[in-house]
Amino acid sequence: MRVGLPRALIYHYYYPLWKNLFEQFDVQVVISDITSKELIQKGIKVTVPEICLPIKAFNGHVINLLSKNVDYIFIPRFVGIESKKWFCPKFIGLPELVGYSIDGVKDKMLTIDIHGNREDTCLLENYRPLCNVFNITEKELKKALKKASAYWQEFKQYCMKGFTIEESMQILNGEQMVSNTHPEITLGLLGYVYNIYDPFVSMDIIKRLRQMDVKVITFEMMHEKDIANVFSKKSKSIYWTFSNKIYGAAKVLMNDPEVDGFIHVTAFGCGPDSIIGKLMELDSDKFRKPFMTLRVDEHTGESHLQTRIEAFVDMIKRKKFAEQRRELA
Amino acid sequence: MKVSFPYMGCVTGYKKILEMLGHEVIMPQKPTQKTIDLGVKYSPEFICFPFKVMMGTYIEAVQRGAEVIISSGGHGPCRAGLYGEVHEKILKHMGYDVQVIIFDSIFRDFGTFYTHLKKVRNGASLIKLIKDIRFAFQIICRMDEIEKKIKILRAYELNRGDFNRAWVEIQKLYDKCWTQQDLEKASKIAHQMINDIPIRKVKDDERIRVGIVGEIYVIMESSVNMNIEQNLNNMGVEVENVQYISDWVKHNTRGFFGSSKAEQMIGKARRFVKMNCGGHDMENIGWMVDFKERGFDAVIHLMPFGCLPELITQSAIPTISKELKLPILSLSLDEQMGTANNQTRIEAFIDLVRNLKSAPKTEVKEIEDEVWNAKLLKQELAG
Ligand code: SF4
Ligand code: SF4
Repeated sequence: MRVGLPRALIYHYYYPLWKNLFEQFDVQVVISDITSKELIQKGIKVTVPEICLPIKAFNGHVINLLSKNVDYIFIPRFVGIESKKWFCPKFIGLPELVGYSIDGVKDKMLTIDIHGNREDTCLLENYRPLCNVFNITEKELKKALKKASAYWQEFKQYCMKGFTIEESMQILNGEQMVSNTHPEITLGLLGYVYNIYDPFVSMDIIKRLRQMDVKVITFEMMHEKDIANVFSKKSKSIYWTFSNKIYGAAKVLMNDPEVDGFIHVTAFGCGPDSIIGKLMELDSDKFRKPFMTLRVDEHTGESHLQTRIEAFVDMIKRKKFAEQRRELA
Repeated sequence: MKVSFPYMGCVTGYKKILEMLGHEVIMPQKPTQKTIDLGVKYSPEFICFPFKVMMGTYIEAVQRGAEVIISSGGHGPCRAGLYGEVHEKILKHMGYDVQVIIFDSIFRDFGTFYTHLKKVRNGASLIKLIKDIRFAFQIICRMDEIEKKIKILRAYELNRGDFNRAWVEIQKLYDKCWTQQDLEKASKIAHQMINDIPIRKVKDDERIRVGIVGEIYVIMESSVNMNIEQNLNNMGVEVENVQYISDWVKHNTRGFFGSSKAEQMIGKARRFVKMNCGGHDMENIGWMVDFKERGFDAVIHLMPFGCLPELITQSAIPTISKELKLPILSLSLDEQMGTANNQTRIEAFIDLVRNLKSAPKTEVKEIEDEVWNAKLLKQELAG
């Protein structure tokens, strides 16, 4: 059996988990192609125009999979993975958004509802519908979930050591990673995994920053507890799971003297970001740390992006060195 | 305390309750272009339209002396629940010392609700408070009842403006009510006023009835929806809106004032969507089914540009429309509304509905599917 995974949205976070899980049942995992202009265009064509770029991209990836001779396309409905927090409405309505936009996808859709309060999503209830599809018993599923969860936890451990998602995956596959050279400044890179890690959307922004001798910290490199603890009675947390992780990460990093500034990568049409973007901007104002918003869409040009990052990084470097000189004097 | 609140639909009820508790009410003004411009200027660029209009309303209220703004949180995953916090931060950043109090649903978070209640109740006893709330709620219900009637009858008024003039008077009447007796008297007069207005007689099968569904703020507040109800009435179309303040209060206080219609609607929506995505999205789809069942001729769906939950509804509309054989027009509203464009779309849509209705029944059955789907499509493309 061949199951397709769209290389979009939350895929970047849970890919190791799903791949491990499916392969335990001798399912062949087929991943859609890396995002390209053509692929996104196909998504844009079928999706309601006002919606955010990542959803359009997701539809593009689903269309791409339809041509890959798969039996199923895995489209989970993420409702929540922690108590009193939900996913962005578009994740909750994702199966509908896809089903009503793309002809002929409905019979191929493999949908499960993700509830509960586990970051690894590995509750039996969540994955139970797979039993029928893969023809396995609940007991087998349970065992497989446990294994997949452990595998995913290992992956997360590497992330928290400061490796990017891609690097962590490579380490899992047994590759060696050389750690960073000497960074001159440190930036908090704030954004959803599907924006930061999609090479088409943010154009390998991490690599670009590192080439400028910048150390990059993203939310998945931080400990969840630290992020959760930053919210007190006075500052309310945000009730969308991943928006809250990013906002929380920003809050932690604001107080971290090592961090010199922030870049917020946001996709055109993102609702939650219009809120947390403003909140983070106001906070950074208070902490006097430079903050830049990079809003990306399918037309964003590479040179434009490069210029903006360069200017921002240069500005911070100048500021930092000037301060250091003053301290020495 | 000088208190204000967002402007949404008919505001007499809010005013009443705050006055009964002895607050000085800074009446919010009906949003104008100036309000919207002001809101747009100080809001995050990509936030939803209702946030921007409320932002403008609050700034105007604060400039007129408001110290506290009372608003409601949303329920579930959508942005409205975070509005208050961001509004307050922006107002403070602008240098205004103002507090935005958010009333969340009583049942979700009684603790917070109660602390807020204490601030607002101004030393009044809980019993008085409950009594006041109940009374204000009654006023709201009575006024909603009359408004509903107006939106139907106004389609047939002989002298343009009669109903609106009466409505202004009626609002004043209710504003003066302080006791149950006042209320009964006012209601009686109000209904009489409405019944006395001369209207054109129409045959039952000539009536055109359109249901309005969508995001709560834009369907309730006429100043941000191009006054769509009046507009449709002027074309001789009856209108039923699914949101009234009374329903909304009932929904937020489930169990306190009786069960809500929303749950019923959610049941009807199940065949199209499985789960509510944080707004009134599922309820709205349920309403579309309900309108069809009650023999309505068409539905207009209004949403703020980019509204998260309603976009999911919008994606499903072509399918729903086809399966229910019900013409549905979806319009997005924002500060660059392009009134003329939307106006044309509405007019074309109503023409289409009228034609469908007057075409002989047997024929309709056969052509229905293709014709209005094709026409609708063309219109969508044009719009
Ligand atoms: S969080 Fe933003 S980018 Fe992600 S799905 Fe929701 S609206 Fe789109
Ligand atoms: S329901 Fe729509 S308008 Fe309301 S907060 Fe959510 S996105 Fe904004």
